[in-house]
Amino acid sequence: MTGNSGNIDGKQAGPKVFEPVWAIALNTFRETVRDRILYALILFAAIVTVLGIVLGSLSVGQDIRILKDIGLAAISFIGGIIAVFAGTNLVYKEVERRTIYLIFTKPVSGWQFVLGKYIGLCLCVAVMVAAMGAFLIFVITAASGSAGFAEQLRQMGQELALIYLELLFVTALATFFSTFSTPVMSVLFTLAIWLAGHLGDSLFELGKLTQNPVISQFLSVIFYCLPDFAGLTRIRGHLLYGTVPGIEVLTYLVTYVFAYVLMLLVLAAIVTERKEYT
Amino acid sequence: MADVVIQATNLSKELTSSLLRRKVRILSGLNLQVARGETFGLIGPNGAGKTTSIKLMLGLMRPTEGAAEILGMPAGDKKALAQLGYLPENPYFYSHLTGREFLDFAGQLFGIEKKERSERAQELTKLVGLTEAADTQMRKYSKGMLQRLGIAQSLINRPQLIFWDEPMSGLDPIGRKDVRQILFHLKEKGTTIFFNSHLLPDVNEVCDRVGVMNRGQLIVQEDVKNISQGGSYKDLEDFFLEVIAKAEAGGQARS
Ligand SMILES: Nc1ncnc2c1ncn2[C@@H]1O[C@H](COP(=O)(O)OP(=O)(O)OP(=O)(O)O)[C@@H](O)[C@H]1O
Ligand SMILES: [Mg+2]
Repeated sequence: MTGNSGNIDGKQAGPKVFEPVWAIALNTFRETVRDRILYALILFAAIVTVLGIVLGSLSVGQDIRILKDIGLAAISFIGGIIAVFAGTNLVYKEVERRTIYLIFTKPVSGWQFVLGKYIGLCLCVAVMVAAMGAFLIFVITAASGSAGFAEQLRQMGQELALIYLELLFVTALATFFSTFSTPVMSVLFTLAIWLAGHLGDSLFELGKLTQNPVISQFLSVIFYCLPDFAGLTRIRGHLLYGTVPGIEVLTYLVTYVFAYVLMLLVLAAIVTERKEYT
Repeated sequence: MADVVIQATNLSKELTSSLLRRKVRILSGLNLQVARGETFGLIGPNGAGKTTSIKLMLGLMRPTEGAAEILGMPAGDKKALAQLGYLPENPYFYSHLTGREFLDFAGQLFGIEKKERSERAQELTKLVGLTEAADTQMRKYSKGMLQRLGIAQSLINRPQLIFWDEPMSGLDPIGRKDVRQILFHLKEKGTTIFFNSHLLPDVNEVCDRVGVMNRGQLIVQEDVKNISQGGSYKDLEDFFLEVIAKAEAGGQARS
């Protein structure tokens, strides 16, 4: 032996396998958070919200519901932009810039890399959604007075959680595509699938309208393959009116999204592991 | 050889150029053994296949034929990777991180404890002369500073075997001298060193053995002692030029 070996013996003890995952997640989080574009987007969200208040108070008086609607839509939109654009660059950039050489020549597996990248971006999206959400809650409280603050907070929390659930899916989709496709193509793929998930039942209707059995079959297959985001949006609508959806519906959606995310990450890990880095 | 650390057997790589669907052989039949504690220098013209050889040994590329074994394990095995250090050619890092943050990140990938990591980062930035720039973001680093950080990160796990792809490139004369000293220091500790370089005087000074590569083939292996003391060559450069000239002439005669 050389007498200069470190405390590494090549074996990874139980919790140690998550150390690289966490390192990569933290690095990804830092990279995204230190990007100035992010702050431009957040500023944009704040402006939209404030604009919403001004318009809201001019046209419908004190209609808080419209304010909430606009605010939440802005958060969902900005969060989506971050997830899609950062996500599609996530793995691609590491390959393009060859920083991946420095990772895969260390004892790191494909799944650790992919999971780390995904968690890092999800953390970033979480912070952004939370920050924009806090701003929205502040604005709404300021506009409506502090009456029913706790109720307001609970309702907004639920709305934001559902938005975040959807963004988890979008991020996984973008991450998956970024392992084998260029960012432009990945953005197109991700947006197409995300949008299709929102069409929900309309896909069925569309299929019937075409009166073509092949197309109608195809569209219904797509419907069954994608998470029902239209359903998610409906639940959010109910929440706005104070109706809380049944626990079964929520459990189903959460399970579905997580299973889907898991599948996408496993595929992404397989692609990453098999790839050659020339 | 008693303790073989690097073993390449008929290691070959073909790439398919996507346009013409033609196969290009960029490495053919590399047979090589490097013993523990040895310093091996791979030299050869641009495009000879030096970087390719290293990438195959690390498992970044997969061979079309043949195999490489590192520390007795197949190339790319995680247990082997845990014990080696790699400096890529023209290293590029995360521009948003500071040098110290990157070293910490590299240490985490090896599963090194936090306290140990920060001690090693301190020690290594000093070793490569980056103490003052340790807390500057890498976007503000010069080429030579990136190269120095690359060297530092390749030593974070105290490897018993290092692969350095052109460690002296982009360095000023002081940097080159520093790197030579680091190499001597590692040699003393018994580290096995595999590197390639175009700076033949440096190779001559630190290596035990050199291999000359040309057009994807390892054409000669020789102890540095024999080259300098044999009397037939003025220096390593003389040897190199002659060997390549002979290979090229032979290649033309054949084709
Ligand atoms: N990704 C790639 N696609 C196509 N050809 C490649 C690729 N990588 C390397 N090559 C070819 O393989 C050959 C060997 O390249 P390699 O990088 O190993 O050379 P090298 O000896 O390291 O050269 P240098 O001294 O310039 O660094 C070259 O002819 C190069 O054109
Ligand atoms: Mg090279």
